[in-house]
Amino acid sequence: MTEIRHDKAGLEAPRADHDSLWQIGKWLSANRLPRGLSLGAVSMVIAFLTWQLLSTFVFNPFLIPPPLEVFRTAIPMVMSGEIATDVAISMSRVLVGFVVGSAVGVVLGVLLGRIRLLHDLLDPIIELLRYLSPTAMIPIAVIWFGIGELSKYFLIFWGTFFIVLINTIAGVWRAPVNRQRAAECLGASRLQIFVLVVIPSSVPYIVTGMRVAMASSFMSIIPAEILAADSGIGYLLQRSSMLLQTNRIFVALLTICLLGFVVDRIFRLLVDRVLARYMSFVSQT
Amino acid sequence: MRPGYPGTGLLRVTNVQKIFASSRGTYNALDGVSLTVKDGEFLCLLGPSGCGKSTLLNIIAGFEPITSGSVTSDEAPITGPGRERVMFFQDAGSALFPWLTVEENVRFGLRARKVRKAQWAAIIERYLVMVGLDAHRAKFPAELSGGMRQRLQIARALAVEPKMLLMDEPFAALDALTRRRMHAVLLDIWQRTGKTIVFVTHDIAEAISLADRIGVMSIGPRARITRLIDITLPRPRDVSDGRIAHLFKEIEDLLAPDLERSEQQMQKRNLPLGVAQQ
Repeated sequence: MTEIRHDKAGLEAPRADHDSLWQIGKWLSANRLPRGLSLGAVSMVIAFLTWQLLSTFVFNPFLIPPPLEVFRTAIPMVMSGEIATDVAISMSRVLVGFVVGSAVGVVLGVLLGRIRLLHDLLDPIIELLRYLSPTAMIPIAVIWFGIGELSKYFLIFWGTFFIVLINTIAGVWRAPVNRQRAAECLGASRLQIFVLVVIPSSVPYIVTGMRVAMASSFMSIIPAEILAADSGIGYLLQRSSMLLQTNRIFVALLTICLLGFVVDRIFRLLVDRVLARYMSFVSQT
Repeated sequence: MRPGYPGTGLLRVTNVQKIFASSRGTYNALDGVSLTVKDGEFLCLLGPSGCGKSTLLNIIAGFEPITSGSVTSDEAPITGPGRERVMFFQDAGSALFPWLTVEENVRFGLRARKVRKAQWAAIIERYLVMVGLDAHRAKFPAELSGGMRQRLQIARALAVEPKMLLMDEPFAALDALTRRRMHAVLLDIWQRTGKTIVFVTHDIAEAISLADRIGVMSIGPRARITRLIDITLPRPRDVSDGRIAHLFKEIEDLLAPDLERSEQQMQKRNLPLGVAQQ
């Protein structure tokens, strides 16, 4: 995204109001940082400046603690390992729910995408149940599974499963008919076509579904932990809120941003490493 | 012509009718289509868009069931795709396996046909060299040009040793220069391997420069083969040759009234779902 903005700025530049920014960008580029990275840094600087200005001049610094204040709060939390513990707990919940939800979603999605009868039978149920967001399921999950790990696994599973399932079904359906026919001409059996052609063809859809599900997992773990947990980042938020510690709330919020970003990058890196050859769309007619 | 099949009718299409039924009604695509393709022959099916030539090819490939009539290959009725016929698609991007390299794409058919592993390397080598892709064997389809992808499709099809190649406007999406080159490549391979080729096109010049025989089709509904034209002129055929120009004009005149009707019908006709791409 930053790259696009850079190009636009390049077209319009040098306009007076862009000038200084443009200079910073140029300086960073000249210092041989990758373009995306250098503009990313500029974007961060802008964000923190705006944040600082808003909290000092516009809003009450208690409601929006300035960035330096937040960092000062964060340091001991990081040093003592408090943050790391909460992150680890939340992450483990997300991962377990996400992995199980993705696995079940892919297996069932592949079957539903291929077996028409099964799809027609289950689709109405799925179409209704998928509107129950993980947040809506919190109260019943607590009654079913208590406030321990299991209820969190369940809630993340719930959110992941439907997203991955629906994307997988779409991917299986979009496997090009020509490709399946070509395989058939080359002598592939029905099972071979399914395993060697249809499933690989649907990988890009499955991966997209998993990425969306990962983001949604990060969104749903927080309310789950706020409402029903005694550990995790959500619990940190809830506790800090009770004690009116806005500084700590901001530390928790920043942590969530960073965590989501880092995990998505790691996910993409893994996909690039492991699934790169399945990710190219030459054409999908 | 290949020895062993002296003049036998390898493929016989007799009085075929094809009606597509959908919730929006029925469409009589083909009616009374008869055709015999000799072994080793290069036959072009020529007609305007929507004339049902691709439908006929899909029937021959075994992808589409017929409503009535009969289609036989070596006297055996065609009920589905068979090992002696390989279909070749216009959109190589969707027909190839983009997650497999050039070499692995060719290997796919050998594995599926349970060719002995010891022979794989030699077969792959032979056909990749034949289409001039041996230097690109480790590349993925996305890294190839349009013409190279079509050559890979040819190599992949030839590797499973079919008797017949069924080609559905294979070069229509290529630029003119690449298309001409592909014609030369295909004719060369055809002459070297003696395959039977049924080639669907809407391009008169393409049909004339390639075919032994052109089957001109009328437009649907109730499309049929209106004329079979033998071309005995030697290849490569030069467009500036008077006889070629004459033939071109003759076929053009034959198609002209149909072309107009085709356009009118495209506007009027409510094609049942799926017929348009077939």
